[in-house]
Amino acid sequence: MLDQPQLPVAQRTNPERSFKEEVRALRLGEGEIFRGEGILAVTKAILQAGVSYVGGYQGAPVSHLVDVLVESQDLLDELGVHLETCTNEASAAALLGASINYPIRGCVTWKSIVGTNVAADALSNLASPGVIGGALIVVGEDYGEGASVIQERTQAYALKSSVWLMDPRPSLPTIVHCTEKAFEFSEATNTPVMMELRIRACHVTGEFMAKDNKPPAISRNARLAEPAAHNYDRISHPPSTYAHEKLKVEVRQPAAERFIVEQGLNEFFAGDRSDLGIIVQGGITNVLMRGLDRLEVEGKIPTLVLNVTHPLVPDQIADFCKSKRAVLIVEEGSPDYIEQAIHVLLRKRDIGTKIYGKDVLPMAGEYTAEVVTEGLLKFLTLSANDIDLSAPRARFEAARAGRAEAQKMLGGPLPLRPPGFCVGCPERPVFSAIKLLEREVGKVHISSDIGCHSFATLAPFNLGNSILGFGMSLAAAGAVAPVMQKRTISVMGDGGFWHNGLLSGVASSMFNRGDRVLVIMQNGYTSATGAQFIPNTSGNRRDGETTSDIAATLKAMGVKWLRTIRTYNVATMLGSLREAMNTKEPGLKVIVADGECQLARQRRVRPQIAAQLKRGERVVRTRYGVDDEVCTGDHSCIRLSGCPSLVVKPSPDPLRTDPVASVNNGCVGCGLCGEVADAAVLCPSFYEADIVQNATWWDRLVWRIRSSVIGALAHG
Amino acid sequence: MSKSINILVGALGGDGGGVLCDWIVAAAQAQGLGVQATQIPGVAQRTGATTYYLEVMPAVGPRPTVLALNPAIGEVDVALATELLEAGRMIFNGFVTPDRTVLIASTHRVLSIGERAAMGDGSFDVGRLLRAVKERSKTQILFDMDQAAEESGGVINAVLLGALAGSGKLPIPDAAFEAAIREGGKSVDTNLAAFAFGRGHARGELEQAVREHRKRQSAVQGAEDLIERARKDFPVASLDIVEEGIRRLVAYQDRGYAALYLDRLKDIDPALVRDVARHLAVRMSFEDVIRVAQAKTSRERLERVRAEVRAKPHEPVEITEHFKPGNEEIAALLPPAAARWLMARPKFNISMHVRSTTIWGFARLRFLAGLRWWRPHSHRFVEEQAEIERWLQAIRSAQVLSPDLAREIAELARLVKGYGDTYARGLGNYRRISDEVIAPALAGRLAPPKAADAVANARVAALADPEGESLSRTLAAIAA
Repeated sequence: MLDQPQLPVAQRTNPERSFKEEVRALRLGEGEIFRGEGILAVTKAILQAGVSYVGGYQGAPVSHLVDVLVESQDLLDELGVHLETCTNEASAAALLGASINYPIRGCVTWKSIVGTNVAADALSNLASPGVIGGALIVVGEDYGEGASVIQERTQAYALKSSVWLMDPRPSLPTIVHCTEKAFEFSEATNTPVMMELRIRACHVTGEFMAKDNKPPAISRNARLAEPAAHNYDRISHPPSTYAHEKLKVEVRQPAAERFIVEQGLNEFFAGDRSDLGIIVQGGITNVLMRGLDRLEVEGKIPTLVLNVTHPLVPDQIADFCKSKRAVLIVEEGSPDYIEQAIHVLLRKRDIGTKIYGKDVLPMAGEYTAEVVTEGLLKFLTLSANDIDLSAPRARFEAARAGRAEAQKMLGGPLPLRPPGFCVGCPERPVFSAIKLLEREVGKVHISSDIGCHSFATLAPFNLGNSILGFGMSLAAAGAVAPVMQKRTISVMGDGGFWHNGLLSGVASSMFNRGDRVLVIMQNGYTSATGAQFIPNTSGNRRDGETTSDIAATLKAMGVKWLRTIRTYNVATMLGSLREAMNTKEPGLKVIVADGECQLARQRRVRPQIAAQLKRGERVVRTRYGVDDEVCTGDHSCIRLSGCPSLVVKPSPDPLRTDPVASVNNGCVGCGLCGEVADAAVLCPSFYEADIVQNATWWDRLVWRIRSSVIGALAHG
Repeated sequence: MSKSINILVGALGGDGGGVLCDWIVAAAQAQGLGVQATQIPGVAQRTGATTYYLEVMPAVGPRPTVLALNPAIGEVDVALATELLEAGRMIFNGFVTPDRTVLIASTHRVLSIGERAAMGDGSFDVGRLLRAVKERSKTQILFDMDQAAEESGGVINAVLLGALAGSGKLPIPDAAFEAAIREGGKSVDTNLAAFAFGRGHARGELEQAVREHRKRQSAVQGAEDLIERARKDFPVASLDIVEEGIRRLVAYQDRGYAALYLDRLKDIDPALVRDVARHLAVRMSFEDVIRVAQAKTSRERLERVRAEVRAKPHEPVEITEHFKPGNEEIAALLPPAAARWLMARPKFNISMHVRSTTIWGFARLRFLAGLRWWRPHSHRFVEEQAEIERWLQAIRSAQVLSPDLAREIAELARLVKGYGDTYARGLGNYRRISDEVIAPALAGRLAPPKAADAVANARVAALADPEGESLSRTLAAIAA
């Protein structure tokens, strides 16, 4: 089994990847060419805009913003920029409170919609008094293919809190320009600005002309002598809040509309068909343009690109629409806030332009190339029957028919390839143990959470009844446990524990004397988002000291039944789960399942081992294997583990047809397959092989003696 | 303005699809070509499918205001896949089309979790994938890139880059791709080697040896006369199986046992001999502790393990076997009366980690393997023989009624395999189907053609899920 001692402090460095190239890109000066991805361009742009502070909570697709800055501490120190790696999005949103009283620029980032939900309270309280220093929130709009969260729109928050929302066209110069302008926009309107970037926009590659980074006037390096004077107007508390509400609509929004027009934030693409028009969210522009190109009408239809989707500028929209017969609104997701708003503003001005939108495009789902092309075809057919679309329509239909034919040829849906636990993941054994527990006690209600462990809801474990948000699994069992004969099991990661679970879950369960079981995956990082540090990571990035210990925290909270167990030991894990389910002891029962993220561990130990081997030191490499002659091809081992390195291969037995299990070379020797075979009494096929590299003379001597005796004893 | 060359990449997490895109982007930029890439990278984990999309301008010059971020059906010029099912997925989604798309894909399979977890063979039909790959794309560059990566000592993404260069579809010279690899700075030598391999394959300069999965024959002396006898008694088309059965059973037990095997096959319909012989040999060489010990102490085994774990010739390897025998395994070796007594005791299992590369550990296993002489007196042996006879009797009765039914009964033996709970579950399912479908059919209460279908359906259902839910449903439907 994997020998994985707790690491000495400060040996765990950020394991996800090294950002050397990215860090270099952040140092580019005036006139140099920046090359890289969208989210890195945003990171460069905020430094060019002179931010004093940056914060955020990790989550795809925007994790890189903070990750890269963590690696750029030298640069931040030179500029005087403060970086806060927040423990959740509410904490990040509250960080922007610095710009309420002080003329300093700040930027925070998180994944939306989920992060915005968490941040919502602070966001409301930020938006109400407003800001005097530019406040930018970069949200990763996790929508469509590749998204990992519920499908909702950030737009709702912008509307209800009167926060401006930018949705820049995905091209690096535009994204950078919008980022820089966002701070001015925020300051000119005393309003925080959100900028949403979809997954593909975050990862889009491109170039732009860099500028020098700007050291902020007020910063860590240039501190203020005195705090801001007390001003009750700046506090979001009545009666100020009544005044704030009026300010939002009477002063800030008109200012925003003026700024958008004066600065030309929205773009206008001309076209010769003055009777037609398209209004599109900036982020969808590329899909739209390709669709027009495909229908051979590119450059023909005037298009208004909304790089700012809230607020809309009524005059701008009305001017664009009024001389046109028909306008299509390309707005992804539901509800159709923009389309509704445009209908209202045209109606109020008695402009009779026919508006198309969600009637020719779908209300829900990602606006892919195919969806948009189909919508355009419908729009043009209904509004401009003088355009001959027969050739492009035929091509489009042929592609669709071809796909149907291909699908028929392939014969039904292809096997899915869902994400799952990595090779050697310390979380997998816990679910193996839960599966074995269910063999004994029957099905158990399992409250799942956000994190790598949510993959247990997929094949081959198929464990989990609900997911209620990050760190919510214990709270989500609150009303299930009292109506259930068997105890419920809530699974939570250490990331979720610090994000929300400690208070929403543990404190609440303790307070209500809940009789539930909680398993905390203590792997030391928020692994699903790229192994960022959290309070229990052994080694804070600043001083190498561990900040907070989970078990100690739980004890302080009054948890009585508490076990910390090495995850790879399936039998012990199973025993503890059994005990937690059956003990007479009332109250919350917590199992801390301890094992470092294997991805992080491998990144750390691989170079160390390579160095040891190079120095000629003795290194034992452990991996597991399956005797193909003993395996009968039932694959129980795979159903109980799902390890990617546990694969199948054709049976070498001429008399058997079912493929047999096999361990491939991705094996890191965690030993789970052997442990599971043992705990579940599966079969005697598994073996552990310890390969002695740089063997000593003693190793070789013993080996030689043993080999000769064994050779004589062997048969066959 | 000229149109972009659109490239779609389908990969698995960990294949290095992101790095592949970086290389293409860097090489295109070095040529002064307009280029844009984006990706749906999936989560940080190293399993799920990932996709990348790139657009490259065919020549230096003005580029469109925007390049697209999403692939469009029917608008992909080059599709790259690091694995065959992912190539199939791009076809399934309509991105690969016969009028336009050059498909560059590896032919190897990495089975998805659903395919691996099946209780028998759950892998998707490769023939279908290959047919779609060939018929639904314009031209193809197909070879086993996993193997090429291994042969070159590099990673699959560099092989794929080489194949892309070799396809000549991009206006980018080889040197620019190579420069991009060098600039990347990581594992430059092996990546360049892999690149050259990929390019060579794409240009037809390299031939790939087909990696075959060899079946291993049992090696045994002294069975020649039995084989001779089989050649006289059985159809030629069944002989490879029957001969392997003989060799297997001589090694497993002795010549007498192999002779019994031939006797048992004697009155089987010649058309069924091949199928029955295959299952009968497997059933007669059932997996008991002695057989496991035999397998683990055979002469070739250590070399096989060394090769599998890639130990270098001078590196010592220590092997630890994971066993967990319990009363079932022990009882299996005892005489029937003692076995029944032990089986009535509470169930127990003992974890044993035996280091079979030590003299003591190996000697213990060798001792168990040496108990072969005792096997015919063991409880398990007696039980198995009775079970086998009942099964053969059912086949003999059925072959008169319908060869299809007899074949399905023979095939049902697939359910009985494995160890411990797996074995118990398989045998339980087998008996349920015997009692609820085969018995009524042989008693004339179910029409033979219908019965053959019913047995086949029940077998598939028994292999559908370990909980037996599908089987219960299927049996209920048959009874109704």
